[in-house]
Amino acid sequence: MANAGSFPSGQVRAGTVAVDVTGAVAALVEAHGLGRVYQRGTTRVVALASATCRVQPGDCIAVVGPSGSGKSTLLHLLGGLDEPTSGSIVWPALGPRETLRPAHVAYVFQAPSLLPALSVVENVELPLLLGDGDATTERAAALEALSRLDLYALADRLPEELSGGQAQRVALARALASRPRLLLADEPTGQLDHATAAQMLDVLLASLDRTRTALVVATHDAAVSSRMHTVWRMRHGTLAESVPC
Amino acid sequence: MLSLLWLKGLIARRSARLVGVANGVAVTVALLASIGAFIAASSATMTQRAIADVPVDWQVQLVPGADLAAATAALGQATPYEALALVGYADVTGLSATTSGTVQTTGPGKALGLGVDYRQLFPAELRLLTGSLDGVLVAQQTAANLHVAPGDPVTIQRIGLDPVSVQVASVVDLPQADSLFQAVGVPAGAAPQAPPDNVLLLPIEQWHRLFDGQAAARPDSVRTQLHVRLAHDLPADPEAAYTAVQQRAHNFEARIAGSGTVGDNLGARLLGVRGDALYARVLFLFLGAPGVLLAALLASAVAATGADRRRREQGLLRVRGASTAQILRLEALEALVVGVVGVVAGVLVSVLTGMALGIGLPGLDSPSLVWVLLAALAGLALAIGATLVPAWRQARRSAWMDIRLGVGREGAPLWQRLYLDLVLLVGSAVAFWQMASAGYQLVLAPEGVAQSSVAYQSFLAPVCLWLGGGLLAVRLWDRGLARGRGLLVWLARPLAGGLAGAVSASLWRQRTLVTRGVVLVALAVSFATSTAVFNTTYNAQARVDAELTNGADVTVTGPTASNPGSLLPQLAALPGVIAAQPMQHRFAYVGTDLQDLYGIDPSHIGEATSLSNAYFANGNARDTLAALAAQPDGILLSAETASDYQLQPGDTVNLRLQSAQDQQYHVVPFRFIGIVREFPTAPKDSFLVANATYVAQQTATPAAEIVLLRTSGDPAAVAARAQAVVGSLAGVRVTDLGTTQRAISSSLTAIDLRGLTQLELAFAVLLVAAAAGLVLRLGLAERQRTFAILAALGARTRQLGAFVWGESLLVFVGGSLVGLALGFGIAQMLVLLLTGVFDPPPEALVVPWGYLAALISAGAVAMVLAVVAALAAARRPLVDALRDL
Repeated sequence: MANAGSFPSGQVRAGTVAVDVTGAVAALVEAHGLGRVYQRGTTRVVALASATCRVQPGDCIAVVGPSGSGKSTLLHLLGGLDEPTSGSIVWPALGPRETLRPAHVAYVFQAPSLLPALSVVENVELPLLLGDGDATTERAAALEALSRLDLYALADRLPEELSGGQAQRVALARALASRPRLLLADEPTGQLDHATAAQMLDVLLASLDRTRTALVVATHDAAVSSRMHTVWRMRHGTLAESVPC
Repeated sequence: MLSLLWLKGLIARRSARLVGVANGVAVTVALLASIGAFIAASSATMTQRAIADVPVDWQVQLVPGADLAAATAALGQATPYEALALVGYADVTGLSATTSGTVQTTGPGKALGLGVDYRQLFPAELRLLTGSLDGVLVAQQTAANLHVAPGDPVTIQRIGLDPVSVQVASVVDLPQADSLFQAVGVPAGAAPQAPPDNVLLLPIEQWHRLFDGQAAARPDSVRTQLHVRLAHDLPADPEAAYTAVQQRAHNFEARIAGSGTVGDNLGARLLGVRGDALYARVLFLFLGAPGVLLAALLASAVAATGADRRRREQGLLRVRGASTAQILRLEALEALVVGVVGVVAGVLVSVLTGMALGIGLPGLDSPSLVWVLLAALAGLALAIGATLVPAWRQARRSAWMDIRLGVGREGAPLWQRLYLDLVLLVGSAVAFWQMASAGYQLVLAPEGVAQSSVAYQSFLAPVCLWLGGGLLAVRLWDRGLARGRGLLVWLARPLAGGLAGAVSASLWRQRTLVTRGVVLVALAVSFATSTAVFNTTYNAQARVDAELTNGADVTVTGPTASNPGSLLPQLAALPGVIAAQPMQHRFAYVGTDLQDLYGIDPSHIGEATSLSNAYFANGNARDTLAALAAQPDGILLSAETASDYQLQPGDTVNLRLQSAQDQQYHVVPFRFIGIVREFPTAPKDSFLVANATYVAQQTATPAAEIVLLRTSGDPAAVAARAQAVVGSLAGVRVTDLGTTQRAISSSLTAIDLRGLTQLELAFAVLLVAAAAGLVLRLGLAERQRTFAILAALGARTRQLGAFVWGESLLVFVGGSLVGLALGFGIAQMLVLLLTGVFDPPPEALVVPWGYLAALISAGAVAMVLAVVAALAAARRPLVDALRDL
């Protein structure tokens, strides 16, 4: 994974799994020598030095590393939220960067990310509506996503009326409701107690397994990383190694 | 150290907010200082204009036997003066004349002695009607009483001496009879003395010959006055000017040590002007105060857009151990920086505005400087209040509560629970009803009393309407948004498509913010609308007043002997003249009353001058003139004349007109067909309007003493050309509308709103742009996190735009509609309350459609710029946006 070669082109989509012309399953994301440098005045910050990786459908990947090692930056780049300053990244099975969200990629932020003016259910159905969905069916899907995470009773609450943990679970429900093919989560259990975190992870992994959604989680929590199939270790802005669990 | 660090951080990361609040403070300061400077300049102008038409500044009544030379010398020592004339007053027991074989005898009267140059020194005291000023003049009323005309003899019944006969040279009007015959030296507040009905004015030498003997025999029946025009080097402030004049009068009286008493007409006028200046200030303040209040509201609203972020910052500081005092010091620092920057910018703008209006730079001793300082203090207070008061209130709450974001389910504010909006509206209705039932007598100016008073409490009506209307708009919008979610979805659908539900939900839950925006725009638009409509209507009526006074765009006036009507074809052919109409100006006795008579061609007079329906009692100019055209001997009278003589339409009215054949007055029958209130060039008191053809036939002369010209371009240019044409005719004057408009002077209507109009309407555009643009932009900037999250969720630009455009259009369109309605209502109320200011009253509001269109366009442009800026910011790299928040 750390030293992947070139990838064949000419991908076609078959069902929920894209295959290329050779019949191999197309990767969701492929990145070569990915780098991101921020310029703040005269200060140059190397948030990500180099990362070469691939995410396939159904992958469960934990990205671990010390603070400042580039975990969040890597997730931003994989999700198309940011553009690399070096290297390349493509989404063979998902299409160009502009169409990734909300159709194919969902993101769970580290900080609270609910829209304060919308209720819980309205926040959850928002990505579905942004994808030009039907209001009635998308409302049902949103409520179902809330039910799966035991949040149905909070549907009409406003974000300011939720605890931090509840808000994070709602954000996760929002990500799951859109049935993404790639879910990127940045410290999703950071504000949860162990029991709730474990419960949420159970629901999450079960949902993703059904849909062959790939999950990439940036985490400090060993309990989370131990449940992933693969661990990417970040060190000083570089994806140092990829280890199967 | 912490303070400097905080300040650096604010400037680096919150510069938009700082600049926004500073702009709000600057507009407030600039508006208040500019209005104050204009008030100061207007007060100075008010003093000079008000005293310009005082006919005689001082009438010094000397005691019998006073040393005239000593009194004159003392006058020169007490005060500089520009004109001095000796006037003799002699009581007579009666006047008599024999005309047409009958003897007319009057009751007691007065014989005045005037120097040959009196009319040149004090031109406002005499107006020649007929005859020549060289000789004995008889007052108009006296001539009517005695049935005399120039050339007739009049016998004077002197006191203690034999009667004496004099020959009348002319009939004159005494426009200032009240002051000319005032009782000098009576206690202040005493009832004014009515002028005598019977007056003869003799050359001073003749007067001395006839009445020196009476003065020796009966000193109490003969008096001497010095009529004085002072040098008008008076302080600009009317109150200071009054004090100065009073001091000079007292100084003079002290010098002459009881030899005379000063009748201070100038002081009395200045006393009245003080009230008028105050009226002007109140009017300016009233028209300007809502603007200042609005600017302050906007500045507060701008400061409030950062409240959430500021609250979180304070919460974080308190969680980390900062004391309330430390937090308030940091907030005060921000307030001080914003306040100082705003004040400096505002003062600069006001100085530039003053220079543009010709007011100039405020000097160290000028009242304008006081206003500038007051405005600066107000600006600082606003900056500090808008920042520190919320900070102090928040300091008493839980820190953790402040750190969390909140859209909130807020309860109704106190004013809503107290129904303050309805209270204000009821108060406005009561104040308005009080004025309406008093016939809108906003100003009380009893005849014969120089001072007038203003019912200042009447201004409560429009102020309460403005504030109450604004608060009611808040209540109704909030309630409408709370209950109108379905309507919001319907309104949002064309813009948002499938996102209509989310957009409307966002608007619904942020209805407090949305309502605030709507009401700010509404208040700004209503202020601009009411100011523009009132000022436009006022200026239009000022023009109507000038048209009434001047008669037409250009008016050529002359005596019968050298009447300008004789050059009508040449005048009509002048470049720039659209129409030219002749008009006779004669005099006719209605009973014993000598009135102005205007002979017109009713079918064509409207070509050269505007005739408003309000000029005629039946409210229809066209029908009235048609009736006059259909009745060759028809005549229009004043309501007073019709009432005095118990006339009904169709009655025959016998007037006496002077014939050109024998210069005698002969009876001419007319038929009364209607009442006329106003007419171009006609005086304020009673006058007559008849067919020129009939008058010419009855008086044996078709002479037209007036020619009215309607012009296509600059009246002043046409007036200059007309002057060249009539220059050879003796006694002919040419006046143009612009000069007349400038010269119109009335103690209350002499307020020049032109500069104030430019000032307020320019600021009004700024305020509307600020409400529609700046407040919106800063509000959207505070929700940049929301837009960043939406973009992170995959919202496309069009979808982001639905949220931004939805809120912006709701605020701007809703606010503009409410503002226009409220503005028109306030303008109508202002015009009704100030009916007495208009002469004649306006028939309808004059709407400045061009300005309103420009105003709404400016607001729309500001709104669009705010939206574009918000969408551009939302397209920043997402990670940067999320990181910043």
